[in-house]
Amino acid sequence: MSRVVTWRALVAFGALAALPALPLTSKYYLLLAFDALLFGAIAMSLDLLIGYTGLVSFGHAAFYGLGAYATAILLERGVLSVWACLAGAFVVVSLYAAIVSYFATARRGIYFALLTLVFAEVVYTFFRYTQTFGGSDGIQGLPDAVLWRGVPIDTPERKYYLVLVYLAVAYAVCRVVVTSHFGRVLVAIRENEDRARFLGYSVQRYKMAACMISALLTGLAGAIYPIRSAFATPDLMLWTESGEFIISVMIGGLGTLVGPILGGVFFTLLRDKVSSVVDWYFIVIGVVLVLIVLFMPKGLLGLRRLVGSRPWRQAA
Amino acid sequence: MDYLVAVLLPQLLHGLVFGAALGLLALGLTVIFGLLGVMNFAHGELYMLGAYAGIAVVGLTHSFWVALILAPLSVAALGAVTEIATLRPIYRREPLYGLILTFGLALVFREGARQIWGGDMRRILPPVTGSTPLLGMTYPNYRLFLLGASSVLLLAIWVFFTRTRAGVLVRAAVQDAEMLDGLGVNVPRLFTLTFAGSAALAALAGLLLAPVFTVYPQMGVEMILLAFIVVILGGMGSMGGSVVAALVIGIAQSLFALWMNPQRVAIAIFGIMIVVLIVRPRGFFGREGVLE
Amino acid sequence: MAAGGVILEVDGISKSFGALAALHRVGFAVSQGQVFSVIGPNGAGKSTLFNVVSGLYAPTSGRVSFAGRDIAGLPPERISRLGIAKTFQLTNVFPTISVGENIRVAAQSRAPDAGRLRSLWRVPDVEARVTELLDAFGLVAKRDEPAANLAHGEQRYLEICLALATEPRLLLLDEPTAGMTPGETKDATALIRKIALQRGLTVLLIEHDMSVVMGISDRVAVLHFGEKIAEGTPEAIRNDPQVIEAYLGGAEDGGTGSVTCSG
Repeated sequence: MSRVVTWRALVAFGALAALPALPLTSKYYLLLAFDALLFGAIAMSLDLLIGYTGLVSFGHAAFYGLGAYATAILLERGVLSVWACLAGAFVVVSLYAAIVSYFATARRGIYFALLTLVFAEVVYTFFRYTQTFGGSDGIQGLPDAVLWRGVPIDTPERKYYLVLVYLAVAYAVCRVVVTSHFGRVLVAIRENEDRARFLGYSVQRYKMAACMISALLTGLAGAIYPIRSAFATPDLMLWTESGEFIISVMIGGLGTLVGPILGGVFFTLLRDKVSSVVDWYFIVIGVVLVLIVLFMPKGLLGLRRLVGSRPWRQAA
Repeated sequence: MDYLVAVLLPQLLHGLVFGAALGLLALGLTVIFGLLGVMNFAHGELYMLGAYAGIAVVGLTHSFWVALILAPLSVAALGAVTEIATLRPIYRREPLYGLILTFGLALVFREGARQIWGGDMRRILPPVTGSTPLLGMTYPNYRLFLLGASSVLLLAIWVFFTRTRAGVLVRAAVQDAEMLDGLGVNVPRLFTLTFAGSAALAALAGLLLAPVFTVYPQMGVEMILLAFIVVILGGMGSMGGSVVAALVIGIAQSLFALWMNPQRVAIAIFGIMIVVLIVRPRGFFGREGVLE
Repeated sequence: MAAGGVILEVDGISKSFGALAALHRVGFAVSQGQVFSVIGPNGAGKSTLFNVVSGLYAPTSGRVSFAGRDIAGLPPERISRLGIAKTFQLTNVFPTISVGENIRVAAQSRAPDAGRLRSLWRVPDVEARVTELLDAFGLVAKRDEPAANLAHGEQRYLEICLALATEPRLLLLDEPTAGMTPGETKDATALIRKIALQRGLTVLLIEHDMSVVMGISDRVAVLHFGEKIAEGTPEAIRNDPQVIEAYLGGAEDGGTGSVTCSG
């Protein structure tokens, strides 16, 4: 397991674990840190698809939102265990992701982006207009979840540690996956899908599996969100949310895992600061995205080359 | 029989009108995708800007007809500038960059429109009023005009692509962009003009539908989702397929609206897409290997 | 001359694209251990034939059987797993990862974990195979270079390495010396012959350069306008009047041993 537990990772997580002990860390900043790390975890999961497999999902908000609703529905009905919430999200997101990934990986390239987007919009529409789940208000005023009997996750510190542990576990999973046999095949598919097929790899199965893993990690992150916010709304599933995940990955750097975590953190802080100062925050975000694509296509930390200087598109 | 004339027939015509406008949008998407390899996420925003530019021109000149000329031209100019400044540098990159870049552009345009014109719903008064008795019902004149205008436009586009040298060139390039290099064509200029042209078509669709629908900054989002479904259904890269699929979706949408509320319609349309993809994984006119 | 049972049998295959018939009732049999070449002018249908055998296209009619099993119409990944590997005429490797990683990803496709759930966390040990192939093709020093940085000839070798790394029983080589200088071509030809012998590989080779073929083939078939017009030993083919006719088409410069066709 030494390919996961490195000194650098230990130091980073150690420093993050010490954060609540700092005298300057107020409740507000602790919850902001929660959001930042959660966003980072999601961006990292999405990097499995964009950075490693070369598939852009514009529908990750649906996985995120479904996970959040799973928790919200359980908490609302008095099922307070975090483990039950995670299990519920796991089941729901697996089912949905299996369907989406089957259709979206049936053809290549841009098709994946379009189908994931369209599927996500249907899920959004469904929750937005289904009164059982609160319609556009979503499910509000949820009780605190409990870790186990007598240990409610009620303080900002506990919430923060919950997301920190989740990030550590998700990071370990991603590291193992990208350095495995499977991860190498994903990179091969990104580089040259046809050749991978001629080496005997069932490309669609690999893509589906990558999509499922990414979706599940995102869904579990979604399941944690209502434990901090006490609500789940359909807005979590909006396609702009999916766009923000992509932006975080792009800022951080494709195919690096750590980059997107930093990208997600940076993006969350930027959003928090900019949107409290100006109300044209989306223009800032849009311009940042355009500039990154134009001038830093590998992202701030993108060490791997994703862009070959291919003449036009390669013939099929 | 009464039901047929009073309810079904007008709704069918509505669907046809809407489908034709949707076709203008989807056609632009398909051509840009085929030619530049970019799935333009900002296409819905160009549609939205067409409507707002129309409102601005109508405000100045009090003439819808002048707006019908000036609004598409100004959006085309914006499209050309955008293309040169942002898309041209990334032609040789993977298509996913085009997708992400145009997503950023969409955010900028949408928020820009909200800053300039506000987030309120707006309307343009139809330049043609009254209605005409038709096949035993009465049908609003403006919608008849819309039907005529969009049919003429689609026909003109068809003529352009089949009868003119420029059109045939673009169509050939949609199939195989590499061949252009060998023909001594000024490729960047062709790309810019095509992008501007499809921006103008989107703007025109936005303005033409404005008196029927409402105008607001998010209006492009809903349309682009439908347009994506149309492009998928038509078989990506098939221009004819896009138009056919747009008409099918337009009519289906307006007929479903008779029996269900709007949210259910969206889900039903999506159901159609899934069924088509199961039966014909490449859409109506999709061919193996094209644009994959 | 190596000979065993028939390993690949192509039986009356035709393939048309719309109205265009690219192949018309082509048939031949390749025995275990042979180097079998298919030659013909450009556009004769050689590549289509390869694409049918390797699974890119299903034939319009006819059978392809490999080790007694009908494989016509199976997808490329299935055919690869049955033991047929293909190299590409235009170099087709994984451009931005290293040469070593290229071969590694090809080699691990035959690891017992491949396609199983445990491949998600395991890292198969294919080091020995990677090193052996790098060594055989003189690429050891380039191991950590991105594949895109290799010289053309080296990329052609990497292409063959990828195919060999999947431990095929039948190797399909599509113009392996395309774009090489005459000197490189000579070396490459000798290397291919040597490796095929060492590993007991059966090779099906497509070429339009006759000089490559004559040196290393046990048997040669000639395609012309989608039909097989001759088959036999290299000597027999060299002297076949129909082949000379097809290749030269009335041209004057007909040295028999080194006829090169450019279309």
